[in-house]
Amino acid sequence: MTEDDDRVAYLAGEGADIDEVTRADLDDLRSLLADEALWAMPPDGIEDDVVAAITAEAAARPAGVAGGEPATGRVPPERATHGPATVTPLAGRRRRAMRIALTAAAAVIALAVAGVVVLRGGDNATEFSVALEATELAPDASGSARLRQTDSGWRIELDATGLPRLDDGRFYEAWLRNADGVLVPIGTFNEGADVVLWAGVSPVDFSTLTITEESADGDQASSGNRVLVGAVELP
Amino acid sequence: MPAVRCRGVVTADELVGFREGRPDGIRAVYREYSGLVFAVTLKALGRRDLAEEATQLTFVKAWRAAEAFDVTRELGPWLATIARRTAIDVHRREARHPTSTLDDATPATVVELPVGVERSYEIGEVRAAIDALPPDEREIVRLQHLEELTHAEVAARLDLPIGTVKSRSFRAHKRLAGLLGHLRETAG
Repeated sequence: MTEDDDRVAYLAGEGADIDEVTRADLDDLRSLLADEALWAMPPDGIEDDVVAAITAEAAARPAGVAGGEPATGRVPPERATHGPATVTPLAGRRRRAMRIALTAAAAVIALAVAGVVVLRGGDNATEFSVALEATELAPDASGSARLRQTDSGWRIELDATGLPRLDDGRFYEAWLRNADGVLVPIGTFNEGADVVLWAGVSPVDFSTLTITEESADGDQASSGNRVLVGAVELP
Repeated sequence: MPAVRCRGVVTADELVGFREGRPDGIRAVYREYSGLVFAVTLKALGRRDLAEEATQLTFVKAWRAAEAFDVTRELGPWLATIARRTAIDVHRREARHPTSTLDDATPATVVELPVGVERSYEIGEVRAAIDALPPDEREIVRLQHLEELTHAEVAARLDLPIGTVKSRSFRAHKRLAGLLGHLRETAG
């Protein structure tokens, strides 16, 4: 028999000539195969409960809100087209209504609830701000971010409140996402106050900023557990 | 749409249906992966009632995050990750306020991780491999390991020739032995 055959035979419970290290690994695998949890199945009723929970939540979402985004009741952005361009400085971290006048020279967008104000207008905008909205995972959270272009990339100054500190292998991670769902990680942190992040992609192309809860488990992908979300609205 | 890299039964249309919150898509994903998710949460939590709750929450959370899921990736590992984290959240809630809902959980001092959470990763890996076996091979593996039957006893139970049992057992265990390298790489 080959070494592989010996391993297979031992795993299947037959005697075989194998070294101690391999024996220990195979014994570990055999203990997993004998574990009741491995073979357990959920009771039948859970399927219907899952369907009911998801379809109810999907039905409660406003029309046009993407799947996976929580229903926030956001008011769509407003655009004003009269008078010279003026910018209302973002102040505070709560949602507030803003009205910004647009001109042909400066493309500045007015947002009713959440979104981004281009602080320097036109096609070569180098600074954005984002108002972040809470999700169901962190209903008391809120935040804002300022994204500024530098020679080193996009510097992002984040300030969030209402996020409990995460430690011991758990942390928050920030992402920029484009319209195709491609996620770019831009940094990790333990608390939301005065955080500086860096992005090597433009928020014009990756126009959604999200904050997720993560753990140091070797999985580099987003957990999908979003606590704050904000969208860039382009001129 | 890119080909969906799920193990075989969930089609691209069903995944779209899942993302959109359609019952047919939800059921397709649930039926394919509920065993994996339940095994992970049960191993992590050690209690069926909590594992049932964590299983339901896992699929709801997966749906909420489905928009960002890369359909070229395997769905199983992604769901297993959500399941493990959900199990941790359920455990922590129980440690602070037994039988309350996750909505009532408040930030508190760090609570230890559930005892089974580290092993739940390996359980998920093995469960995914088990679920990929043909049903006849899977049953033989189950009888051999969970019920500790010999080949002869399995043959009698399934009313099969012992030679058939041995060859199916060998094929199944050859596939499972291939897992070993992967489990070694991801341990620690």
